[in-house]
Amino acid sequence: MSIQNLNTFDPFADASKGADDDVQDGLVHIRIQQRNGRKTLTTVQGLSSEYDLKKIVRACKKEFACNGTVIEHPEYGEVLQLQGDQRENICQWLTKAGLAKPDQLKVHGF
Amino acid sequence: MAEDEAFFDPTVKKKKKKKKATFDVDAALAEGNDNLDGNVISGENESAPTAEDGDDNNADIDLDFTKQKKKKKKKPFNTDDLESALNEVKDDNATNDGGNQEDELIEDDFDLDFNKLKKKKKSKKKDLDEIMAEVDEKTEDKENVDDNSTTWLGSDRDYTYEELLNRAFEIMRYKNPDMASGKKQKFVMRPPQVVKIGAKKTSFANFTEICTTLHRQPKHLLDFLLAELGTSGSVDGNSQLIIKGRFQQKQIENVLRRYIKEYVTCHTCRSPDTILQKDTRLFFLQCETCGSRCSVASIKSGFQAVTSKRAAMRAKTA
Ligand SMILES: [Zn+2]
Repeated sequence: MSIQNLNTFDPFADASKGADDDVQDGLVHIRIQQRNGRKTLTTVQGLSSEYDLKKIVRACKKEFACNGTVIEHPEYGEVLQLQGDQRENICQWLTKAGLAKPDQLKVHGF
Repeated sequence: MAEDEAFFDPTVKKKKKKKKATFDVDAALAEGNDNLDGNVISGENESAPTAEDGDDNNADIDLDFTKQKKKKKKKPFNTDDLESALNEVKDDNATNDGGNQEDELIEDDFDLDFNKLKKKKKSKKKDLDEIMAEVDEKTEDKENVDDNSTTWLGSDRDYTYEELLNRAFEIMRYKNPDMASGKKQKFVMRPPQVVKIGAKKTSFANFTEICTTLHRQPKHLLDFLLAELGTSGSVDGNSQLIIKGRFQQKQIENVLRRYIKEYVTCHTCRSPDTILQKDTRLFFLQCETCGSRCSVASIKSGFQAVTSKRAAMRAKTA
């Protein structure tokens, strides 16, 4: 479903190659932060800029039923930000969509 | 079993608290003994090293508690097993178990125990120490061991428990030469004491103590914890760490476990006897046991989303 959407144009053909040139360590860092109360926030840093993050966030929002946004950061590039603890979801999804290999994913947090 | 569930399932937190131990060392030890018995007899049971884990004094850090769970499922040996295994062992002795055990022995030798029981543990531990001492004596004299542990092999008579025990330890030592040195110490760590402070802060009360146990600079562990948890915090006058946000002991344990894996135990031999040195902006982990030296990941908090109230931030900066 979502995978097909993403595959309509083909930025993923050289996914593994693209991942390490513009990302600091070639890893996708998935972090969690606490907000007020029991609310949390998941950030995904280090996705290759060859991918259309906006498209990814749209797919994720739908898939995980959460809100999300793309934040432009001077040092870390485009960072995906999703509401709630989506670490598990995003890991699975990125792997399934072929955007990152499991060993490229670095999950932080508790 | 019960203690496993308590450990993995946050919903039974109450019970856990009463027990004061998320993971029952005694049970694990008893388990270890069971395994040892079953193991020696069948000769090809896969859990030789687990017995050793439980009993042994060697550096044990288990970063992965699932193994423990698996172990529990092992059934104790019954007489049928014993008989068939006995025949088997008589027929083809040491060669049989060699391959099987070797794999397993390498696999898991660390057992990070956050939850040492204090009182109960001692009695158990004493027995084990005795056994260990006994075995030590015997292994020191190599020939003696050979005599002791294999005399029954050729003969028709039954082996004694002692002989089997020696045999098991002998095999373990043979496969793990470095543990025979007996230098390593069991890596025992107190669980982190995590207490809520009000609604928004968490205290990690024995933070400094844990730093000392791990032989790491508090600053380093602090940086790691805060980066991983994506929050801020500081050490207060009572040497406890105050972290912003709400965290449970279990969560802090997870982070600590990751810290230990990356920055404390040797990446080659997993010995906790290591030194962390800073060298030209990079940290290197130098192992005192095997001498390996490797660089470790630098601690980066990376991207931090804005979580505080934006209005408050504007007010602050304005
Ligand atoms: Zn080492």
